Amino acid sequence: MNPRLEIVTIAAFVAAACALPGTFLVLRRVALMSDAISHSILPGIVIGFFLVGDRSHPLVIAGAALSGVLAVTLTEGLLKTRRVDKDAAIGLVFPVLFSIGVILITRYASGVHLDVDAVLLGELAFAPFNRATYFGLDLPVGIWVMGAILLLNVIAILLFYKELKLATFDPGLAAALGFAPTLIHYGLMTLVSVTAVGAFDHVGSILVVALMIAPPAAAYLLTNSLSRMLVISVVLGVLAAFGGYLVASWIDTSIAGAMATMSGVIFMITLLFAPEQGLIARKRLSRKRRERFAVEMLLVHLSRHENTATEAAENAMPHLTGELNWSPEFAGATVERAGQQGLIEKHGDQLRLTPKGRATAERVLMR
Amino acid sequence: MSSGNQRQAPLPIQIEDLTVAYRAEPVLWDIDVSFHEGTLTAIVGPNGAGKSTLIKTVLGLIEPSAGQVLIYGQPYEQQRRHVAYVPQRGSVDWDFPTNALDVVKMGRYGHLGWIRRPGVKDHQLALEALRKVGMEAFARRQISQLSGGQQQRVFLARALAQDAKIYLMDEPFQGVDATTEKAIVDVLKELKSMGRTVVVVHHDLETVPEYFDHVVLLNVRIIASGPVDEVFTPENLRRTYASRLDGAATDLELASAGVVLQSQEDGDGRVPNAQPDRY
Repeated sequence: MNPRLEIVTIAAFVAAACALPGTFLVLRRVALMSDAISHSILPGIVIGFFLVGDRSHPLVIAGAALSGVLAVTLTEGLLKTRRVDKDAAIGLVFPVLFSIGVILITRYASGVHLDVDAVLLGELAFAPFNRATYFGLDLPVGIWVMGAILLLNVIAILLFYKELKLATFDPGLAAALGFAPTLIHYGLMTLVSVTAVGAFDHVGSILVVALMIAPPAAAYLLTNSLSRMLVISVVLGVLAAFGGYLVASWIDTSIAGAMATMSGVIFMITLLFAPEQGLIARKRLSRKRRERFAVEMLLVHLSRHENTATEAAENAMPHLTGELNWSPEFAGATVERAGQQGLIEKHGDQLRLTPKGRATAERVLMR
Repeated sequence: MSSGNQRQAPLPIQIEDLTVAYRAEPVLWDIDVSFHEGTLTAIVGPNGAGKSTLIKTVLGLIEPSAGQVLIYGQPYEQQRRHVAYVPQRGSVDWDFPTNALDVVKMGRYGHLGWIRRPGVKDHQLALEALRKVGMEAFARRQISQLSGGQQQRVFLARALAQDAKIYLMDEPFQGVDATTEKAIVDVLKELKSMGRTVVVVHHDLETVPEYFDHVVLLNVRIIASGPVDEVFTPENLRRTYASRLDGAATDLELASAGVVLQSQEDGDGRVPNAQPDRY
């Protein structure tokens, strides 16, 4: 594999691995937990690095994941005191752990394979230099590590799909049926932690959050099914990775930064253009509703004054603007629409209901 | 409780000396009550009386400070499969990406255990449960697009799919339309005819005699419990609703309880009104 392809592969693995547990974070309304975890793993990484001397060693990954889970435990502990809210509890815990990591780096590890820049942004561009051979394949360590983590996430979510779904949708029933929602919660948080540790090396602790949240948040707007949401999240994450890599090589900038930006761009595009949930679709839908309601109002108005002494005055074009409070343009457009649908007929200024229009007016009033 | 050498079958739900407290504040105090096979029981009482807490404690969702709950003579943990649960509709996020049929299938999860996925049989049972509540046409409908009453019926169908001996329902009638109310009542009747034991947290005192045969009047303590025609008396209701000292909500509830009793005595079925008729 050439180095460019290797970098893109790692980026795609990181994005896919992040999107899977990220989907459940978004659905559980604990998106910020990814922020807490991705920062809290730092002291674990630093201490593990001191002890083992190699950041990609499985023991370091496990230790760092443990400090991510510690952050979750501390946050839940603070919440249980009922003296702080959830966001405050998260905000209190992770900066403490992160800063312990920063202090350890600056005090003991500066100049070694850890520095604050790498912590914040990762170093995807250098990933191909750090290689390892397994099964006769000489590949960057990043591919092995992220490949393994992605596989772990896929297997865990496939195995426990049903349990994750129930515990996320209805933790009460999950507990009543014996599916231990707390255990599932910590299991999920362990996946998030392990993923954050692996992704940390490549995209840094801040951008992990973007890859965990933006693709699932976009996928949420595109589907009504959990399984499809997981698949779409992964696809969008990988798209962000490819797009980010292209942009980064084009304007010669940080790959991780470009990836995170792309995931934000993808979310914005989805927010605007999603077929049902998108802002534009919503706007169009509410305009359609308003127009339909206006036609219905018109029909009801006409039917109420039909065959009365004041019919000639009431059921005339000029009257609509006064009585229904419509601008002349809106009144004209509504009359036009009602005419096109065969609900009314225009005789000069006079408006008359067709039989179909009369029936519709009756139905509207019954509602 | 059994006397002599006559062997007595264990009761569906037996609650003994149960006390539940939140931070040393008792929510349920020394509850002794049992529920018999094939009965439809309403749990009524003012807000904060501990009605939902009682149900959740039976389900093991809340750890009691003292006492125990036995399901057919054994702890709940060993009897999970026999107990179906309808939580309050507001307790879940209806924007979750799933459809009605999928939610009903969740009722089968307890029978499947860990890891195993629902199969064809579970699919059929879920559809059948949806049909029983008149929701089969909405099987593939995204749950956020259902009305409140339809969502409640989906929850009820999910409990039916659990195929249990005991059904615990937390305010299933809360804010539902007439169609849903009728669907729930029909299901209650069917469950009773099948000999199931049903316990429902209920808010509407007026419908208690119509829908249920047993009632538990609860206000932190058990005020009274037993068959509706024996226990659902003005005196007991007054004691249930008046023993609390907190303000307006209680007064209102008491007023509506009083009116219900009046209209029962008059038998004229007029719409309950908190103000007595002056003309």
